Amino acid sequence: MVSELPWNSKTGTLKRELAEGMMDPASRRALEAALQIKENQGAHICAVTMGPVMAQEILHQAKALGADEGILLTDRRMAGADTFLTSLILSRFIQREYKSFDLVICGSQTSDSETAQVGPQLAEELGIPAIGYANHINVKENILEAQRHVDDFYEILSMDLPGLITIDLSAYKPRYLALEGVEKAFENPDIKIINAEKLGLDDSFNALKDSPTRIIDVFSPTTQNENRLLKGAVKKIVDQLFDEYGKVISSAMGKDIKTHEHDEV
Amino acid sequence: MDFNPCMKHQLIRKTVREFVESEIKPHVSLMDKESRFPWEIIEKMKPLNFFGLQVPRIYGGADLDTISYAITIEELSRVSAALGLCVTVHNSVGIYPILKFGTTEQKKRFVPAMASGESIGAFCLTEANAGSDAGGVETSAVETQDAFILNGTKIFVTNGGVCGTILVFAVSEGKDKKDQDKRNHANVFIVEKERSGFSVGEIEDLCGMRANPVSSLFFEDCKIPKTNLLGRMGQGMKIGLIALDTGRIGIAAQALGIAQAAFESSISYAKERQQFNKPLSKFQTIQNYLADMATKIDASRLLLYRAAASKDKGKTFSAEASMAKLYCSATAMEVTDLAVQIHGGYGYSKEYDVERYFRDAKVTQIYEGTSEVQKMVIARSILSKPS
Repeated sequence: MVSELPWNSKTGTLKRELAEGMMDPASRRALEAALQIKENQGAHICAVTMGPVMAQEILHQAKALGADEGILLTDRRMAGADTFLTSLILSRFIQREYKSFDLVICGSQTSDSETAQVGPQLAEELGIPAIGYANHINVKENILEAQRHVDDFYEILSMDLPGLITIDLSAYKPRYLALEGVEKAFENPDIKIINAEKLGLDDSFNALKDSPTRIIDVFSPTTQNENRLLKGAVKKIVDQLFDEYGKVISSAMGKDIKTHEHDEV
Repeated sequence: MDFNPCMKHQLIRKTVREFVESEIKPHVSLMDKESRFPWEIIEKMKPLNFFGLQVPRIYGGADLDTISYAITIEELSRVSAALGLCVTVHNSVGIYPILKFGTTEQKKRFVPAMASGESIGAFCLTEANAGSDAGGVETSAVETQDAFILNGTKIFVTNGGVCGTILVFAVSEGKDKKDQDKRNHANVFIVEKERSGFSVGEIEDLCGMRANPVSSLFFEDCKIPKTNLLGRMGQGMKIGLIALDTGRIGIAAQALGIAQAAFESSISYAKERQQFNKPLSKFQTIQNYLADMATKIDASRLLLYRAAASKDKGKTFSAEASMAKLYCSATAMEVTDLAVQIHGGYGYSKEYDVERYFRDAKVTQIYEGTSEVQKMVIARSILSKPS
């Protein structure tokens, strides 16, 4: 949640130094889904992130958890990218350096902006099918089956690979990292670093200026509602409650309550 | 000289913190209140390598360096000093002497079960008449044709109530009958809890560390095979001193963790508690307390990591470990004392964690060598150098 992060409400930016080294909770779940595929049927996991040089730490963490390699896309010219350019940059990496992939797994949404746009946009850039908010996946040869929870239903979808899925925040509870994993990850500490030039972004590329979307303001809403105390005889209060709040109660319960029939009960 | 932790050590800290904050913290207060050893938490710690921190991978451990080890104990103790104690004693004075002095056969026989956490380690030197003076040990080991027979009582054994593999100090009659100095006849034996003649006494009712089942251990005609002798006959004192040097790094880390926790509680309380219409943190007296705490904790941390780094580099680290242990434990005591003071009446109540930190801190100045013994070790090191 945005509110749980060290956010500077005056400038509307994330206090990155305080959020340093945190793997996004959604990414952690996406990695967990990948690790389970690897354990069940074998896979080569490549963990990719875009960010400042210090973001290497989360790639070490990914490797410590079981990813086979870590890739950092970093360049001053890529800083400040919105979701549109982030998706573009990620797709450039995959198209140039990782053509033979079967499945891209993303977290459904990052905890700093919660747009949930990067996954679907990346699928568009790559021209591959996508399923969002999966809470269970099953890979059978070139087909992926995914279950997701939509409103009050479960959907089971099937998708040809290569494809992209995003993992819902309620699924794939991440495992704890064993200390041996950390030690092993640093025995082979290579993290491949890729800059804008290697991704073929032209010299004039500047994510901060070129991003088509901009955040104008971030603020906490202040509530306008006040508590109300109903006083009087029980029957009178209950009637008043249903008269004034019947619709609100109905919609919260997801059920129609006939507000005038309770008199007879 | 770089005073910043490397990325690996940062990740070790975050890894331990993530686990202990979610899986241990919610239960610590009740564990202390009920004096209960939390087996269900131990089960969760086992696969994460807490019980084989520095054990080589061939024996099932994580093969961490000593700085990572210190950070692990510090972070664990920041939340539960009693579990920090269990883990550091198991790893340092329980396993390390077997790795350092054991035969390959002994390592294969004992270490994997300890590293996986199936068998918890204990180290018993202290007796009714032997504490700082290890020469006072009365537990005896009599050598027969095919075995050793142990007799004696050990007291205040950390992990005593839950241990599976125990290192026992016992004196034997030396070959040279004229040499009456027991320190030359001390030996270390590895005893499995299943040996007949071994039994566990009642759990001690202690001031702090209440979730750790500290107890007496009894050895009554406890027969153990000759292959359970660690090192050579008469080598016990050397093994003990080297084990304790390592153990002191762990206890220093534990003390630092307690101090850190008390410090963090104090900062948040000082910012939140209002008196005279302003938060405590606006009073210079409280600011001075917090500044003293921060400085001592920082100095403690530097001494601790230096001792750990010396061990990792294969240098002698005995005096460094003693300095770290002496200073970290004093810091734990001073910082928890100030933390209670800052919290006022609430700090004296079991409703607040600082009350537990205060009780837990004291023993770090007593076990694994008292503060007075640390000064003996440090002075010996200073005076042995050519001037």
